[in-house]
Amino acid sequence: MNYLLGAFKPSCNVSIAFSDGKTRKQVPLKKENGQTVLVPLFQSQENITGKITIDPLQGKKVDHNGVKIELLGQIEMYFDRGNFYDFTSLVRELDVPGEIYERKTYPFEFSTVEMPYETYNGVNVRLRYVLKVTISRGYAGSIVEYQDFVVRNYSPLPSINNGIKMEVGIEDCLHIEFEYNKSKYHLKDVIIGKIYFLLVRIKIKNMDLEIRRRESTGSGANTHVETETLAKYELMDGAPVRGESIPVRLFLSPYELTPTHRNINNKFSVKYYLNLVLVDEEDRRYFKQQEITIYRLQETT
Amino acid sequence: MVLVLALGDLHIPHRAPDLPEKFKSMLVPGKIQHIICTGNLCIKEVHDYLKTICPDLHITRGEYDEETRYPETKTLTIGQFKLGLCHGHQVIPWGDLDSLAMMQRQLDVDILVTGHTHQFTAYKHEGGVVINPGSATGAYSSITYDVNPSFVLMDIDGLRVVVYVYELIDGEVKVDKIDFKKTTTTAH
Amino acid sequence: MLSVGIEDEEKWLAEGIAGIQHNAFYMHQAMDANSLREGLKYSAQMLSELRTSKLSPHRYYELYMRAFDELRMLEIFFKDESRHGVTVVDLYELVQHAGNILPRLYLLCTVGSVYMKSKEVPAKEVLKDLVEMCRGVQHPIRGLFLRHYLAQVSRDILLDINSEGEGDADTVMEAVEFVLQNFTEMNKLWVRIQLQGPARLREKQEKERSELRDLVGKNLHVLSQIEGVNLEMYKQTVLPRVLEQVVNCKDELAQYYLMECIIQVFPDEYHLQTLETLLGVCPQLQATVDIRMVLSQLMDRLSNYAVSNADVIPEFLHVEAFAKLSNAIGKVIEAQVDMPIVGAITLYVSLLTFTLRVHPDRLDYVDQILGACVKKLSSQPKIEDARATKQIVMLLSAPLEKYNGIVTALTLSNYPRVMDHLDNATNKVMAMVIIQSIMKNNSCISTADKVDVLFELIKGLIKDLEEASVDELDEEDFKEEQNSVARLLHMLHNDDPGEMLKIICTVKKHILCGGPNRLPFTVPPLIFSALNLIRQLQNQDGDVVGEEQHEVGDEAEEMHATPKKIFQILNQLIEALSSVPAPELALRLYLECAEAANDCDLEPVAYEFFTQAFIIYEEDIADSKAQVTAIHLIIGTLQRMNVFGVENRDTLTHKATGYSAKLLKKPDQCRAVYACSHLFWVDDPEGIKDGERVLLCLKRALRIANAAQQMANVTRGSSGPVTLFVEILNKYLYYFEKGNQQITNAAIQGLIELITTELQTDSPSANPAPAPDAFFTSTLRYIQFQKQKGGVMGERYDSINV
Repeated sequence: MNYLLGAFKPSCNVSIAFSDGKTRKQVPLKKENGQTVLVPLFQSQENITGKITIDPLQGKKVDHNGVKIELLGQIEMYFDRGNFYDFTSLVRELDVPGEIYERKTYPFEFSTVEMPYETYNGVNVRLRYVLKVTISRGYAGSIVEYQDFVVRNYSPLPSINNGIKMEVGIEDCLHIEFEYNKSKYHLKDVIIGKIYFLLVRIKIKNMDLEIRRRESTGSGANTHVETETLAKYELMDGAPVRGESIPVRLFLSPYELTPTHRNINNKFSVKYYLNLVLVDEEDRRYFKQQEITIYRLQETT
Repeated sequence: MVLVLALGDLHIPHRAPDLPEKFKSMLVPGKIQHIICTGNLCIKEVHDYLKTICPDLHITRGEYDEETRYPETKTLTIGQFKLGLCHGHQVIPWGDLDSLAMMQRQLDVDILVTGHTHQFTAYKHEGGVVINPGSATGAYSSITYDVNPSFVLMDIDGLRVVVYVYELIDGEVKVDKIDFKKTTTTAH
Repeated sequence: MLSVGIEDEEKWLAEGIAGIQHNAFYMHQAMDANSLREGLKYSAQMLSELRTSKLSPHRYYELYMRAFDELRMLEIFFKDESRHGVTVVDLYELVQHAGNILPRLYLLCTVGSVYMKSKEVPAKEVLKDLVEMCRGVQHPIRGLFLRHYLAQVSRDILLDINSEGEGDADTVMEAVEFVLQNFTEMNKLWVRIQLQGPARLREKQEKERSELRDLVGKNLHVLSQIEGVNLEMYKQTVLPRVLEQVVNCKDELAQYYLMECIIQVFPDEYHLQTLETLLGVCPQLQATVDIRMVLSQLMDRLSNYAVSNADVIPEFLHVEAFAKLSNAIGKVIEAQVDMPIVGAITLYVSLLTFTLRVHPDRLDYVDQILGACVKKLSSQPKIEDARATKQIVMLLSAPLEKYNGIVTALTLSNYPRVMDHLDNATNKVMAMVIIQSIMKNNSCISTADKVDVLFELIKGLIKDLEEASVDELDEEDFKEEQNSVARLLHMLHNDDPGEMLKIICTVKKHILCGGPNRLPFTVPPLIFSALNLIRQLQNQDGDVVGEEQHEVGDEAEEMHATPKKIFQILNQLIEALSSVPAPELALRLYLECAEAANDCDLEPVAYEFFTQAFIIYEEDIADSKAQVTAIHLIIGTLQRMNVFGVENRDTLTHKATGYSAKLLKKPDQCRAVYACSHLFWVDDPEGIKDGERVLLCLKRALRIANAAQQMANVTRGSSGPVTLFVEILNKYLYYFEKGNQQITNAAIQGLIELITTELQTDSPSANPAPAPDAFFTSTLRYIQFQKQKGGVMGERYDSINV
């Protein structure tokens, strides 16, 4: 690619630096090309400040029609790859048209930025936050530089967090009651629960608890749903008899979960479900799915 | 050395339930080579019991014996001795020594063993020995009062016989010993 | 799949073991590299081998043991935080991330053990968590082994609870709670095994299941070993909880095993103090559970306890052990309506054994048990179940063995009532047992009342019972029985003549009902018993005849013992034999009585007995051989009689000589006749000495001998044996020596010559018979000897030449 780069080689280096770049927490982010890079982590309402440095190559000058920086919150649907929907777009003009002969630095600041959605990398959709620096040029095309960052929003402990309790069954065949201690779990939470067997007329082989993620994109007739099983956790081995109760204790930390996202900008939703699966000796599966809400708990330091 | 057990007049079960326990514990199998029994056992059980002590069992018939095939008299030779056996109710007067001596001459034996009187006796006389082992159970007798259980063991060794009398007196076994030597002149 | 081939199973086991070894290898490698992550990964894979369903419990155990050994190594690794850098608390969470439950729980138990030993957390909390989490494994075999593993890793901790001083009551309680819960769950799993699979595999499953029972029982062992489990806790918590599970599991095998286990593992003292609770469970068990075994094991233990430790007997009384056991047995029998009678009786036998060991002095208890038995038995007719009757025999035999004989048993009012419920055959068996017991213990039954009770007990042997058919009985058996009765009669004795007479009368009353088959066995011993009593009276009072007679009724009540009375009884007894008939025996017994009467100086009585004997001789003894013996006995007895006056004596001697001369065979005649000579010559100072009649007898004997000789000549063409002559010669010598003037030298000389001649005429024709020869020779030798002796006798013999 070097010769291509040579042909269209930009005449300057553009770099974006955050003012607290040294101290700010960095988290890994998977890029489109599959590489994982560390990027700074923000949350909503934070000030995003830093500076842009434009450094023309040796002996060259950059002619431009102006320099600006944008903070974009974008949703990209994979069926429409490359087409970003910006749900947030803030812009700061950094320079009036002119020429840059030597290295030049522009501080920038976005104060108390509203970033309601978390960064998300799903199966069919992603939500990203990016800083975009544009050096506009009339004829040769603009010089654009991007800097990704990740947004995570924390929630306090929900004030209402009822357990889930439900009796389900197949008539004269299987009746169980299950109980999970909460309906909302944070990412490092533990699901505690119990399964009561009220009636067992089938020969159960084992019972698993699955965590499933349901990502739906689009809307109306174009809704596309993708379900992944993130965890498959064996709760019981063998066949219980009536009256048995089986404990549930599932640590969520080993799994790569995200918070639940509900109808993000009418573009997509990410929901989590606990799926209780009983398998009988003929490998028939009996299951019951319950939605749970996953949230990111504000880490207390 | 040969051990011969001589006994008789047990009268089981008419006059006694069983042999005295003390005697039973003395009469263990394997020690005695011959048993001579004068009779009045009176039942088969006793016969079988004696057989267990020693299979070589010689019995003559007492008047109460259930088994009627026992002979009236019997002679047998053990070592150098000829023994005669008879219950004794046939010898009248009962227990009379002279009459028994006559029977001894008739049977031509060195030792005559008889019973019936329930009285232990052992006489040496010119023709040999006459022994009555008494009643092994101490059975009632119209002839003898206060019968003590008794039996006789004869230890025959060459020309010598030692007669041991075992008598149960007040629960204790008393042993007496009589020596008898056969003179070779009384050959048959 | 009909059944799984052994080879297949072996193959699966081998595969499983290989899997364990393979993963264990990497696990060790990881541990050596202090890599926790890898270690966990491989250990979980290793433990996955235990997820198999293909192995029988037996082989599964083998697999389990392999894994168990590896887990011990893993535990050591877990323990050393410096090696893997993770705190035990985090480790406890970390292992729970494993997706498969069985490896996860094995790892959790392993870490849990480390966790508890680290003391970073109260052990009870970990225990509680572990035992709860293990619920996730509901597969019976895998669950049992997992929980067994839990029990194993927690055992040391549980047993340490007290010795380390941290054992406040609460902690102990939690530990107990843990074991109880684990026990309960294990039992539930165990019980479930049989509920699976088709019927045709049941037997195999039962066997396999049985092999697993000790895994369950181990928990009870641990409970018994926890120091803090004192009586109070046992009573309040442990036992009720265990029993609750026992009852609820509703499984025959488990209930039986667990009851057995409870009884075996906990201390005797606890059982004693919780009898009511323990026993209360019995009626709630499945009907098929062998409660008898359970109860008898309990009673065995308790009685061993009592026997080895006499101090505790008051405690037995205090807790009313007997009443409680008795009550429990009653309830079990009541509750189990279908229990066969043998079951009930067996329970009573166990209780009786217990009672006899623990409370040997409480005859009332014994009678109570028998009473309960009677109650049970009276609900139905005579028992026909052989096993039941065997048990009753055991029941009735036990007191006999304990109390060394029947005497004590005779005081038990319910004893005969139990016997009444036996069938005839068993009744007899029991009667024999009673008799044998009396004989073995040499017990003396010393009152008429007891004798009466005893005969009531053994009536099966004494008389024909209504329905009994005699012919069904083997003759040998009958003989044996009756001989036993005969022996028994000697054990009925009292030194007091009055009581003894009552005893005799009582026995007489019973045996006379016995019928002709029994009388020959039972009459003689009673006769001699009575004769002994007469002897005793003689010894007590020389002048028994002078004793005044009391007028009394025909029965023995208040009868004063006199020889006369006894002779009357004797007479009746012997008379009874005529119904048999048994003439020979009767004759002998009459003669015995006659001699006894002689000794008592009762001439008329003696004469009466002789008369009876003669009548029998004349009327009923036909066999010539029997006649010979009878004659000898008559002569022998008569010879000894001194009570008779001249007239009576003459009558009797006349008769006797008459009978003698009428014997069938000449030699018998001859011998009897010369024997009669002794009737006229009694060799004591007061005895009769009628030399003439002696001689008459001897001459008559000679004539008969001659006749015999001639007959022999006629019939055989040779003279018969000279034996008779030699015998007569000896008789001559006898009287000669006794000084009978009628016996002369000449007569003897003549006889010697006669014999010599006879022998000479005989010898050329045939071989001389050696016997008479020897007899004669020894007789001559005797004469020779007497001649040489010198003195009066020698002189008297002087003139005889031999």
